[in-house]
Amino acid sequence: MNLTIKRILVIILAILFAVSLVIVQYWEITKQRPGATPEAVVSAESQECVSCHEDVDKTPNLVVAWRSSKHAAQGVDCLSCHQVEEGDWDYFLCPGATTPVASHPTPKDCAECHEQQVNEFAGSKHGATAMIFMSRSFDRNVLEPTLTTKHGCQECHNIGHMWPDQSVGECDACHAKHTFDVGIARNPYTCGECHIGPDHPHIEIWLESKHGNVFTSFPENWEKLSYNEDELEVVPFNAPTCTTCHMDAAPGLPATHDVGSRLAWETQSPFTIRTTEAWGGGLSWEEKRANMKRTCFQCHSPNFVERYLLVGDLSAVQYNEIFKEAKRWLNAMNEAGIILTPGFEGLAPFTVAGYDEEPEQVSYHMWHHEGRRYRHGALMMGADYTQWHGIWDLQHDLIEIIRYAAEAGLPEAEAWMTSGDPAKFWLYPFYDVPGSAWGIDTIAYRKSDEHTTKILMNRDVMPDYWDRVYANVQALYNQGVLSDDQWDLYQELWENRDVENGQVFPLPPDFQVHAEGLAADKEATGRQVGELKLPYGGAWEWATGEANAQ
Amino acid sequence: MTANERKSFWSERLPIDWELLQHPLREPVPYHMNFWWFALGGTPLILLGIQVATGILLTFYYVPSPPEAYESIRYIQNVVPFGWWIRGIHHWGATLMILTVWLHMLRVFITGAYRRPREFNWLIGVGLLFATLAFGFTGYSLIYNQLSYWATTVGTNIFKDVPVVGPLILSFLRGGLDVTANTLTRFFSVHIGVLPTVMVILLAVHVLLLRVHGVSELDPKDTRRIVFFPDHVLTEIIVGFYLMLILTSLAILFPPPLGELANPASTPLHIKPEWYFYPVYRWLRLVPGTVGLVGAGLFLLVLTFWPAADGLLERWFPKRDLSVVLGSLVAVTVAAAMVWEAFVV
Repeated sequence: MNLTIKRILVIILAILFAVSLVIVQYWEITKQRPGATPEAVVSAESQECVSCHEDVDKTPNLVVAWRSSKHAAQGVDCLSCHQVEEGDWDYFLCPGATTPVASHPTPKDCAECHEQQVNEFAGSKHGATAMIFMSRSFDRNVLEPTLTTKHGCQECHNIGHMWPDQSVGECDACHAKHTFDVGIARNPYTCGECHIGPDHPHIEIWLESKHGNVFTSFPENWEKLSYNEDELEVVPFNAPTCTTCHMDAAPGLPATHDVGSRLAWETQSPFTIRTTEAWGGGLSWEEKRANMKRTCFQCHSPNFVERYLLVGDLSAVQYNEIFKEAKRWLNAMNEAGIILTPGFEGLAPFTVAGYDEEPEQVSYHMWHHEGRRYRHGALMMGADYTQWHGIWDLQHDLIEIIRYAAEAGLPEAEAWMTSGDPAKFWLYPFYDVPGSAWGIDTIAYRKSDEHTTKILMNRDVMPDYWDRVYANVQALYNQGVLSDDQWDLYQELWENRDVENGQVFPLPPDFQVHAEGLAADKEATGRQVGELKLPYGGAWEWATGEANAQ
Repeated sequence: MTANERKSFWSERLPIDWELLQHPLREPVPYHMNFWWFALGGTPLILLGIQVATGILLTFYYVPSPPEAYESIRYIQNVVPFGWWIRGIHHWGATLMILTVWLHMLRVFITGAYRRPREFNWLIGVGLLFATLAFGFTGYSLIYNQLSYWATTVGTNIFKDVPVVGPLILSFLRGGLDVTANTLTRFFSVHIGVLPTVMVILLAVHVLLLRVHGVSELDPKDTRRIVFFPDHVLTEIIVGFYLMLILTSLAILFPPPLGELANPASTPLHIKPEWYFYPVYRWLRLVPGTVGLVGAGLFLLVLTFWPAADGLLERWFPKRDLSVVLGSLVAVTVAAAMVWEAFVV
């Protein structure tokens, strides 16, 4: 072999190496680029679908979405889910295609690989949402045409779709197709597609809670939502989303697709009840609560969790007493012939005659809107929903019902309206817990003639206030609605109530400073507003014929 | 001070025979050294210099402890002025260094430059190849992102299948059962301390042997000569400038990715070592563990002692240039295995 050949050989091999290296390096860097599409594995049977659907006018983004999915990288392709047999209800042959497909993959298809998740889901309250279509109540059907409900209530309630193949559920309601990304399912805005609005503002409650605030304060948290919980012991972010507490795994607690398996309360129904063993995989409500607490313990101490939940729990049942009171007034009005609709004897608020009279409509709102807002706000750190969108609206509507009865001449309502006794504002039986999970406050229960409003805060109008709420909570416990541990905690707090309520601690010096500041504001308001009289007046002056009308 | 006085000032204080020192600089070298593709031995040397310079700069910020290692690289990449450039050059410098060492070996192999009396220098050269690969392997693991973490895991795991002492080697490499902070500190120490020392010693011997033997002749009939300094040195300087141009272009066009922070709890779908281990990784994935390892070991053994094997070939099949054919075949196979592995999921 002469030297020239050797030279050429060296050059050729050198170029070969350099080219191989460039190819490999380009390939590697493309794969590692952030957001790079993972390599999709397509079977020979599905190649026809992919090739055709990649055309610009044949849903190409569907293929793009699938290519970016974990499914694609693991060889789960079109026919893995769209497999069909002759005679299936969704048998479909694409124009120009040779392979028939199932046009509507159902949970039965997902169960081929995700059987546990599908079964958990089908047995859950999510799996029961379509039951509302069989509801015997008339509050909807009278008012809303089914044409409208198809793009209205059904869009959410179809998460419990009941399919011809006997499977139940709509997996892509949360795992948006065709990425089926767990990160989308964990995104709170996914839950918020339905859990939003006046009747169950859960996304709003989450956003206003410390949980939502902390989560959204760290933009990188959104990137972490796709984490693989098989390999992590605790969630990889510093505040929970909806699924963190209701579905995701926590130390000692497996992930679940049964959203009820951690719920100790049924709080969307007209009356709050402890969840029965019919829901949540046959667990007792105590077991479900224990599950939920495992998620809390990733960040919160048991002391905080128990106290927070005790207040939340009593709030949830406090609602019952308010709504029971509303029903009592409605029934009294019915008996007196003021409203025509009977049917408030049972627990359900529905009436076969529909909500055609004002107090009925108001009572519907008390349950379906503000009653849920109050209960869910109190259990999920939604302060404004507990307060202004919750208890305030509830009490306002209760008084609206009484006012309606008084105007219609119901004697008890008239007596209530005309009474000057501050005790009349104890509208319903009360629960209360000494102290707060957030720490001792020296002012909340302070008795002061000078600075406390008589009606709301001054327990002097009811000197045995704490004895009464104790007896009420005890009755609740005796009914089996509180656990032994909760009752023990309650008694401990009650015994120690002077400390828990901050009565034994002096007020900080700032109290006096602020009291003086508020007095100054009051004085200024009187001077700047009350004493000011303009030379020319308005409608009052016009109506009364005073000289200086405009 | 006159010129003579100046000269005596320095020769008095540094009593060195300057004439003798200048002698090696003026050594005549074969004419083919004028062409860069026959001067590939100098290229890895230039790259080594670049690697040392950029490597020292990187250690100013790098923290060899998880997870700060990853964060410190992110800092170098995003905050430190020209940090991205220094890191890009270091990354691509490593790649080119391995490539040029291969090419240099290829040239030496095809032209038979390892033959008598230069057998020892081939041996030293193979040692330098191993040192270069070890540089790459330890350096890559220092990034502590998902890919590098798991590449280190599978890379070290290969040694587990070494007969008898495998588990011991594995535990020594990792500093424990798994890749942990212990692995990172020892790889850092090896990368910036042990390997540079080994490399410099081997290089010194390599170059010394080269100089005492003289550069091998490609064509005995060609008697043309150039002078080492400045002729050949200038060629190398030009090569150096081109290298900087290529490295900077690569650093800009293909910035080395940072990836995600290593998560020992989350095994990625596909784990791979760095590209230069692809051929051997492909081989190991094709055959059972110990067979693969023994096979690879044998290959390395033959490569290391190739001059002896070549001697036998020459004796059995004289004048057939079998070594050239064999070498070309191996080179093509290695390149093909590398590309194959890159495209296999």
